[in-house]
Amino acid sequence: MVGFSSEIKWFLSHQWKEIRRSTFWHKNLALNIILGLLMLIMLLYLLALGFFIDVILSELYPNDDPVKIFNGVLLYYLGFEFLLRFFLQSLPTLTIESYLHLPIRKSSIIHYVLGKSLFVIGNYLSWLVLIPFAVKVIAPSYSVLAALSWTTGMVLLIFSNNFLTLYIKRQMTGNTKVVVLFGLFIISLILLEHFGVVSITKISAYLIQFLLTNPLFILVPAGICFLLYFVNFNYLKAHLYPEEVGASNKGTETDRLGNLSYLKSLGFIGHVVSLDLRLIWRHKRTRSIVFLAPIFLGYGFFFYPQSIYNEAYTFLIFVGIFISGGLMVNYLNYCFSYESNYFDNILANYKDFTAYIKSKYLFGVMISTVCYVLTIPYAFFGTHIFFINTMAFLYNIGFLSFILLYLATFSYKRMDLSKNAAFNYQGLGATHWLAMLPAFLLPVLIYLPFELTDFPHAGLWFIGALGVSGLILHRFLLKVIYTKFMKQKYKMAQGFRE
Amino acid sequence: MIEIKDLKKSYAGTPVLDIPYLQIKKGECLGIVGNNGAGKTTLFRLILDLIRPTQGEITSKGIPVKGNNDWKQYTGSYLDQHFLIDFLTPEEYFDFLQGIYGLSKGDLDTFYADFESFFNEEIVGKKKYVRDLSQGNRQKIGIAAALMTKPELVILDEPYNGLDPTTQLRLVSMLNKLKSSSEVTILVSSHDLRHITEVCDRIIILEKGKIIHDILTEESTLGDLETYFNPV
Repeated sequence: MVGFSSEIKWFLSHQWKEIRRSTFWHKNLALNIILGLLMLIMLLYLLALGFFIDVILSELYPNDDPVKIFNGVLLYYLGFEFLLRFFLQSLPTLTIESYLHLPIRKSSIIHYVLGKSLFVIGNYLSWLVLIPFAVKVIAPSYSVLAALSWTTGMVLLIFSNNFLTLYIKRQMTGNTKVVVLFGLFIISLILLEHFGVVSITKISAYLIQFLLTNPLFILVPAGICFLLYFVNFNYLKAHLYPEEVGASNKGTETDRLGNLSYLKSLGFIGHVVSLDLRLIWRHKRTRSIVFLAPIFLGYGFFFYPQSIYNEAYTFLIFVGIFISGGLMVNYLNYCFSYESNYFDNILANYKDFTAYIKSKYLFGVMISTVCYVLTIPYAFFGTHIFFINTMAFLYNIGFLSFILLYLATFSYKRMDLSKNAAFNYQGLGATHWLAMLPAFLLPVLIYLPFELTDFPHAGLWFIGALGVSGLILHRFLLKVIYTKFMKQKYKMAQGFRE
Repeated sequence: MIEIKDLKKSYAGTPVLDIPYLQIKKGECLGIVGNNGAGKTTLFRLILDLIRPTQGEITSKGIPVKGNNDWKQYTGSYLDQHFLIDFLTPEEYFDFLQGIYGLSKGDLDTFYADFESFFNEEIVGKKKYVRDLSQGNRQKIGIAAALMTKPELVILDEPYNGLDPTTQLRLVSMLNKLKSSSEVTILVSSHDLRHITEVCDRIIILEKGKIIHDILTEESTLGDLETYFNPV
């Protein structure tokens, strides 16, 4: 056995190679540029938030110290971050199987596994807000030392959150109920805070204030972080078996989605839909989209309560399309490439491709309908919102859906759903991004001339009418897509094999 | 070399392996055959401490494998593709093993020379990552990696799977040479009855997690195995 430090050196070099050689970089240039730009915009937003949050806070609460307000929300922030992490962050254990049979100290492997978790970008995004705030606000009004100890303390708490997530997630592999309960707990805390029963913000501000008064208090978050690391370390040390730390897929329980007898009774289309249902539910990537659905559906809450948005119809149309169409877009865009792994099988065995295309369409409509029905209560914010959302829904199922399905026949990128990262962009081609544009922009463009000529309602009716005419012509439109699909299928199959 | 006592492994109450006693002597070449789900891979994983036994103990050179790392230095193994680090090139992977096992540069050169014909110009110098190689070539890398450290104990799970006929035959002769030239202990499983009788001096048949036959290889063994798996 070689020395501990040289083992760690090997691990670091492997980690570096793994990142540099990730298939992520093998995408085409255009896609990487688009992704890079999106990323950059997001980072700039965060940075801007960090620089101007004091201005925002003093606008909202002119009588309070912005530092106190900021500190007040930090505990909530950590709670939400934990929830997000729980759903999105994957356990960094897949790689250990390649090392376990080699003469490497178990402790090195564990340090590697734990250290690897710090390579997740989520650990660093919040720095973009924290650091500008510390430099611009805390340093002048307290001291540079206070700003330093505050920032370090927060970073340590974020790292602690990272280790806490790993530990909790390992404890309850697959058991998400507890976390949903935790989410409900946070929401009820917010409600209680709203009605003045308890005040987490006061507690949070009070606790974090210590970091500002005396840098020695940094020992507390450092201790928490170290303790959580230690707890993880001990747990892994006792359970360093692939099947116990979630690295091996052995022992995942089967669900009961196999007996959807109602769907099966619908014949071929029912079979295809039930296959898609299982595909979505049994893969991490697609399943995480289902878990993110509340964010899609809850999108309205950000905008409807505010009068600047509530009266801007162009914007409301966009929101309406997004709410009932977001998930549908996600499905229809990939409905063929999701099946990459067994696309040859489909081509070789399915006899009725008209029905196959139709089943994809119907499943998309089903998704959109569920989203629409669930968001009817938004009518509470105004009947015009109900009206707009209904028109947007008709547009989604009668117009957008056909466009997406047509464009989906242009997907040649293999998508291996068994690769388990929640955010893997494998199989995203330029066509998918093109598809997003008409999805969300077209209705707004259609509507604009009506608004400018002062006939806003006619514009909304027109958008709805587009959808209805698509529904009336559905036989013809599906036929067009079918013809295209039959032409494209060889090219698709070839792309999916690669 | 290896001693197994009272070993049981079960998943959710269903036993998948149950071996009251098994001893594998130094220098022995033990073949393990059995249909899918008989417990071959489970047994190997237990010997390599990759899964936790429900009950019982395995010792290597008298020391329990569980909670101990010493046996790894003299054990070379390849069970499946998870053993490979697929984002490295084959050369980088072998370099890594050289570093981890503390081999010299000369050892590595000998290794490349020894395996030149086995690799058949398809592995080295290809400028490809392991993940981009075909299944058969990955299998070759795994087998070579298991043997490169000149281990005293070799564990191979279905090594012939996915190999082309030439490489299969080369592997048979390589294992035979290894056996005759050193005191190495070999554990190998396979579905290929002919290859396994050509290599192993002792063969055990697993069925539903139990050893139901433990035979020394002789002239008639291949025929016996064939009748066992396909009774007329």
